[in-house]
Amino acid sequence: MREILAHTPGKIYLLVLLLSIVIMAVAVGMGALDTPADGVPVLVFGWMTMPLVMGVVFVVVWLIAYLIYFLKFWPYR
Amino acid sequence: MFDYIALGVFSLIIIGMAAYGYRISAKTAEDFMLGGRTIGLVVMFFFVLFAISSSWTFYGFPGVLYLHGPGYVFFIWGSVAGFAGLYMFLGPRLWALAKINRFLSPVEALAERYESKALRIILSATILAFIVPYVGIQPLGVGRGFEALTGMPVWVGATYTAVLLIILVILGGMRIVAWVNIFLGVVYITALLGSLFWVIAVVFPNGGVVEAAQIILASEPAKLSTPGPLGVYTPVLVIGTFIVGLLAFSWPHVIIGAMTARDKTLFKWFPILVFIFGGLFFYIIPFVWGSLIAPAALPGITDVAEADRVVQTVIQTFLPRWFAVFVLMGVIAAAVSTAAVQLMTSSIIVARDVIQGVLKPDADDAEITLWARISVIAIVVLSLGVTVAVTLGIGEEAMALYLSDVSVPGFAQWAPALVGGLLWKRGTRQGALAATSVGVIYLALGLLITGPGGSRPLLFNLHPVIPTLPINALVYIVVSYLTEKPSEEIIEVFFNEVDDYLLSEKS
Repeated sequence: MREILAHTPGKIYLLVLLLSIVIMAVAVGMGALDTPADGVPVLVFGWMTMPLVMGVVFVVVWLIAYLIYFLKFWPYR
Repeated sequence: MFDYIALGVFSLIIIGMAAYGYRISAKTAEDFMLGGRTIGLVVMFFFVLFAISSSWTFYGFPGVLYLHGPGYVFFIWGSVAGFAGLYMFLGPRLWALAKINRFLSPVEALAERYESKALRIILSATILAFIVPYVGIQPLGVGRGFEALTGMPVWVGATYTAVLLIILVILGGMRIVAWVNIFLGVVYITALLGSLFWVIAVVFPNGGVVEAAQIILASEPAKLSTPGPLGVYTPVLVIGTFIVGLLAFSWPHVIIGAMTARDKTLFKWFPILVFIFGGLFFYIIPFVWGSLIAPAALPGITDVAEADRVVQTVIQTFLPRWFAVFVLMGVIAAAVSTAAVQLMTSSIIVARDVIQGVLKPDADDAEITLWARISVIAIVVLSLGVTVAVTLGIGEEAMALYLSDVSVPGFAQWAPALVGGLLWKRGTRQGALAATSVGVIYLALGLLITGPGGSRPLLFNLHPVIPTLPINALVYIVVSYLTEKPSEEIIEVFFNEVDDYLLSEKS
């Protein structure tokens, strides 16, 4: 953590991770997971419920951010 | 007869691996407790993944999804971030610190960092108090699986698991527990994924998961979104569930895994495996089981205990009996893989931190290894008390909630001292002692003092971790600033040397 915070790419990386959590929390708070007014839950590809979709997007964001960061800037090499 | 032959062969494979591990081990405390710090990336990943994937992923997790819809999955998203975060931010420093100074337990590392024997006692007692009943839940899960499949009483399956655990951990130590976890994990994934595909093919032959989703959409659409049919998973609870999952970085049996690593490159690749294999594959299996397949195949269950067993019930209803035996083997694998690592962690804390750290400082390698093995038997016997209590009808409901309501908040109480000890030079002994004590006492009082209808007024009726952890962290920071900063020697050993080691080629 100390090494990651010691350089700008590390700070940006941490900011991306934190922002993804904040954005997800705000989306949940605004009812993004709730059943729409028509009472029919949103299903992506006919079976993926919104909590699953949001979680998969969250994990993919963390994965891409990590891949970009560690491939170029991993601090312990 | 087939049931017993299959389970016998399964047990013999585990015992054989443990015996082989005993034969090749170096017979030192470091080898028994941390696998000689030689665990590589692939073994480490599956070792940790299956250490955290207990029988809860077969019973509790799908059971909650079945009753309340998909909102509870946010515990998994939080956990994935927490585990990855541990190996990104804390793992490398803890590993380097333990390797340079030959620390065998994370409690030992913190006690030395804060120069406090009192903290060593408090942390050891706290972790053992929260982890031992958790060990007991695993044989209980197997006992229930046995009961559902064979009709035998719960204690038979629980005792079988306990004996298997004692042999595995006493003979094999950490290295073989890690290796056996790979075997157990393969059995578990094959059982869980194989049964999922087979049930889908049998019950939903025309449209698979889409057909299952359409059946639920027509009959009980509230089960396909938050807050769920009973209105439980409100946005506040979903966010709270995510935060509780995030605290997975403080689970002692996961943290100790980081100390067994062969070299620092493991920490570079580990998070990728967590995201891809953990977040995008492994945990999706029980999610699909609990939120789609089980509610569509067997609708109408409202009882919590029945919902917990719903995956097993579906398998026994729609698949041949021989496969149900294989699935029970998968449940045993999930339970043993978790309980074995928790047992190793507990025995290390007893031997290294309580016996050698406090009661018998001159104990040598052979003595603390012997104490670790003795404590394994004692902890298993103690944890079987959980099975006895539940069999007698005591604490049935409490056990179901133990993981999320007691263990996770309990483990979280050492998080500020752990994170501060590794990352913050200004963290002091007094800060760590005050914060951990305040957090544990507040949590205990909050859980024990209940109001009407089981409410928890001291915790403001929130999840136990939500009020206790911020108080703990605040006390740690304030008291640390109010007391004298750590000595130059501590800064040198716990920060400067670790920085140099991590940045050097030799690590």
